[in-house]
Amino acid sequence: MSDKRRVVITGTGALSALGATTHDLWNGLLANRSGVRRVQRLVDSGINVTTGGEVAAISPQDVDRDHVIANRAIDDALAESRRDAAECGFIWSTGLDTFQMGAEGFVHRSAGRCFSNLASRFTGPRRMIAAACASGTQAIGEAFRLIQNGGADACVAGGSSVMLTPFYLIGFAGLQAVAIDNGDDPSMACRPFDKRRKGFALADGAGGVVLETRESAFERGVPVFAEVIGFGVSQDAFDLNRPCDDGAGAELCMRRALMDAAVSADEIDAVNAHATATYSGDLAEAAALRKVFAQRWQSLPVSGSKGAIGHAMAAAGVLEAIVAAQTCVTGIVPPTVNLQHVDEGCELDHVIGEPRDVNAKTVLSVSFGMGGQNAAVILRRS
Amino acid sequence: MVYLVAAKQESDLARVREEKPELWRQVRRYNQPIQLALAAADEVMKFAHDASSAAVISLAPCQPGSADLYRWGSVVTAGMASGTLGNMRMNPTQTLHAVDNLAMSAFAIAHGNHAYCLGLGGAAGQAWCGLEAVVERLNAGFEEEALLMAGDQDAAEDGAAGLGVALLFSVHARPSSVRLVSIVRNRQISDVKPHAANGLAGMLSSIAQCNRGPMSYVVPAEHTDGFSGVTVNLEVS
Repeated sequence: MSDKRRVVITGTGALSALGATTHDLWNGLLANRSGVRRVQRLVDSGINVTTGGEVAAISPQDVDRDHVIANRAIDDALAESRRDAAECGFIWSTGLDTFQMGAEGFVHRSAGRCFSNLASRFTGPRRMIAAACASGTQAIGEAFRLIQNGGADACVAGGSSVMLTPFYLIGFAGLQAVAIDNGDDPSMACRPFDKRRKGFALADGAGGVVLETRESAFERGVPVFAEVIGFGVSQDAFDLNRPCDDGAGAELCMRRALMDAAVSADEIDAVNAHATATYSGDLAEAAALRKVFAQRWQSLPVSGSKGAIGHAMAAAGVLEAIVAAQTCVTGIVPPTVNLQHVDEGCELDHVIGEPRDVNAKTVLSVSFGMGGQNAAVILRRS
Repeated sequence: MVYLVAAKQESDLARVREEKPELWRQVRRYNQPIQLALAAADEVMKFAHDASSAAVISLAPCQPGSADLYRWGSVVTAGMASGTLGNMRMNPTQTLHAVDNLAMSAFAIAHGNHAYCLGLGGAAGQAWCGLEAVVERLNAGFEEEALLMAGDQDAAEDGAAGLGVALLFSVHARPSSVRLVSIVRNRQISDVKPHAANGLAGMLSSIAQCNRGPMSYVVPAEHTDGFSGVTVNLEVS
């Protein structure tokens, strides 16, 4: 019998374009609603990308927005778990250095310094994850591994990102990764897997989860959202800006997560996809999912969250894992918001238009970062 | 058991450009810390049994970016003031300079490495988290070799001097290898000087001066995360 400890999620905190709580995120997705909208300060700046996923609860004028948004997610997760930070490790991504718009130009904010400030109240291992868009998922996986192997008893894991500024939008536009304005309904800027997709909507956000041993959760009598049963990472080793067409790197990390969880692909009930709505990213992801799930791909519900909340970068993976945990709790797979006409090559059993109750108990959540870092976690109803 | 089997520090990009033109072609678009980290990694991976299957643990610079990126930031600020942001396009090369996991990605592409990877961000003291991750991965039997690399610069705004460092670890001892016995932390609040590479370079210097036998490297407070003291216990053979 394995001496590895079992690890569960006992608290979540989520700030996204759909609201400032996990409840807001989940209910917005179930309602097939997008929180992406036109952002006035981007309109005022004159750039050609004016839509984004803004966290309305935190003022964009707040220079400490990077700290505030992260601390809110951390505090919510700790409160729900009835844990104190001093009992926990801290595995978190604060993404890239940010450039907030100040009165006299851009104000540089160091991601490293932000992490150090956030980490100061934790006493366990403090690791800052830097894996681009896969950071949030890898943070959960690394915390899972630490607890599983006895390196920590509890951890707060997740990520936060405040990159919705002209500085980064101009940069991402140059890479043809973000949806340029063309008169569309701004709430439909991000259309994962859709024929009309044109890139993601950049978003701010923060997501945090408390992970601890299953034993301690039971002893403390706190509710358990899901058990983390597997984790896998891989590198594409292909290109800095795009994935390989056949999704080989993505496929590898999913297979590693399945192997780590000691479950077969047949035991996965639903997938929370990365689903950025970039042309090559969605094609590669769909190809990878079809290979991993073989003949089951036509009947395995797949859902992505970025159509509703945009791409929150370092926070994306953990916000999506929180959605996956809610699926484990309820059995319901939310729809992929803004997906209407599935593109050729993106064929999967997409959940479209309304949620689907399939009594899903085991969910795969995946993230694929720019540069080719891939991460996957598998959650199971506990 | 975990052994340090090769290490390299690199600070001279002019020499890299002169002596390793092929490597320079691969890295010339990147910012200085990434170039230095990759140049150091290129040297130590010559001692790897299989560069494609080694775990890769990469530290992002604490002083990220480049002089080019900062100049671009000034241009954007001016554009905001003059209302001309809409006409601006960013050079994709400068976009790369903002990316924190660039060294890891570039290394993977150069060496065909699809293995476990961990990018650690530019906060103070993450080097010791990287060392702990090496021990965890190798002791658990996930991989047989692991690369830990870092590059950083004294200041990004003007491209001030930088340093790259790379360490190759293996579960198999080799002649003159150094056994990594343990990493011990204790509560200790201190002021820090965030730098991804200097801490590891300091440890390598101490090892180089040590005679055979056990040694304890007490990490200077300025190279820690500011919350915990770190002692690395080693055995030099």
